[in-house]
Amino acid sequence: MASRAATTAAPIDLGAIRAQFPILTREVHGQPLIYLDNAATTQRPIRVIEAIDDFYRHTNANVHRGVHQLSVEASEQFEAAREALARFIHARQQREIVFTRGTTEAINLVANSFVRPKVKPGDEILITHMEHHANIVPWQMLAKATGAVLKVAPMDSKGVLDIDALVELMNERTQLLGVVHVSNALGTINPVTEICELSQQRGIPVLVDGSQATPHLNVDVQALGCDFYCLSGHKMYGPTGIGALWAKAEHLEAMPPWQGGGEMIRYVSFEETTYNDIPHKFEAGTPNIAGVIGLAAAIEFLEDTGIEAIAAHEMALLDYATDALSQFEGLRIIGQAAQKGPVLSFVLDGAHANDIGTIVDHFGVAIRTGHHCAMPAMQFFGVAATARASFAVYNERHEVDAFVDALGRAQDMLKP
Amino acid sequence: MTLDQLYQQRILEHNKDPQHFGPLPEATHRGRGLDALCGDDIEVALIVQGERVVDAQFSGEACAVTKASASMLMSWLIGRSITDIPEAYEAFRALLANPEARANELLGELNDLQPVGAFPARRGNACLPWQATLEALAPALGKSV
Repeated sequence: MASRAATTAAPIDLGAIRAQFPILTREVHGQPLIYLDNAATTQRPIRVIEAIDDFYRHTNANVHRGVHQLSVEASEQFEAAREALARFIHARQQREIVFTRGTTEAINLVANSFVRPKVKPGDEILITHMEHHANIVPWQMLAKATGAVLKVAPMDSKGVLDIDALVELMNERTQLLGVVHVSNALGTINPVTEICELSQQRGIPVLVDGSQATPHLNVDVQALGCDFYCLSGHKMYGPTGIGALWAKAEHLEAMPPWQGGGEMIRYVSFEETTYNDIPHKFEAGTPNIAGVIGLAAAIEFLEDTGIEAIAAHEMALLDYATDALSQFEGLRIIGQAAQKGPVLSFVLDGAHANDIGTIVDHFGVAIRTGHHCAMPAMQFFGVAATARASFAVYNERHEVDAFVDALGRAQDMLKP
Repeated sequence: MTLDQLYQQRILEHNKDPQHFGPLPEATHRGRGLDALCGDDIEVALIVQGERVVDAQFSGEACAVTKASASMLMSWLIGRSITDIPEAYEAFRALLANPEARANELLGELNDLQPVGAFPARRGNACLPWQATLEALAPALGKSV
């Protein structure tokens, strides 16, 4: 059973929320769509879709490059989005926000521009057993190229990080700790503030993969005490292909550029190039302008709805669904931390996740099946794949009921 | 195409009680079928004498479609000439690609898997045992697959 502190947030108006998501009116296989694959990507509210449409219809121009009116307006909207995101995650300054394609690119940026220049053979990168591939593979690639060593902090059978073991793995050779804020495969919410404190006491910078946190938690990068925070727009009701790296300004100032090109320069000759100021130094080439503007609309949606209200609604759904699934014979929930995001991963005796996914899809229910890009976490639990239902602000209790009914049908069809 | 046609009785029976399932220690050829994204990981083990498959077994963990396909394929393989198998795989893929296609005599019971073709996300599962088989036979067939 997931449990968490009581919230004082006013309940959301679910009808008004759902009315903002046009896709929720469509049918799948003749049934109303029940979208429970939100940890893979959320749906977009109409204001995000319209913001992108409006940009291309009325404002489209390149940013930071022209004196003409459209370029000025596009640049203003682009920088206003940076300001909105800085406010949303409580960054000290907006120049600490670097737009990227998503969390994956943000982590790769830190790997290549922050860690790589200082790492020596035998140095260590510390991550946890519950990381997404995006917070594993860039470090493996870095280790292979530099002779550094990847260290992995263990978790327990509930999917809770072993903090003592994590601390034991910290030493003077540790160049960076990478930790997921909310696990996409297990739901676990890691105690990032505590982890950052322990890490900072030992002088180890911390990167937080926040892709699953920003749609559900009030993220305050200063209060967390981390050095880097990575996020993806499409996990938080925004467009795909846009995300951001937040980093302390002093880190960004000291880091060399990663990709070269336009925008990131101040002066170029064939003899020498002077780089632009942060954050532009890390934004080579024409960025995903419409994506950034769509992301600003998503942030507005989250702020208008209220993160606390969203979280309270989702946690009530998670508790309800957890109770319902616990009634199934032979069902095992993978990830049973006390502090969880709205993610429900499970395996069912005699029913492979793939078959469950296909069967519930025919009742209009979209869930994710497979390894969730967290194969080491799956290996830890001794499963090749799980089925995963994940909730968002627009989900309803009756959708959980329909999912549970469909799962019952799957169990009946596949029972050994 | 309805769900019942995909999870028809024959497929469910093969899933619950797969034929030729288990180890084959004397195997002369082995191939792995891995679809990590789905969580399918099977091994096909064959005993080939001359150009003929004399025994075939599969093992591992997989979804109902992969298991049923592997179960049927192992039965089908026994007694076949290995040189006929790549062509049969092409025929099988053609069968999945076209829901109107008539049953292909060459494929025998494997024709029962045709409804999988209507579920594009699951076609790969039906093909995985074939790919493992062809990987196992690649050295014998003298080419990489």
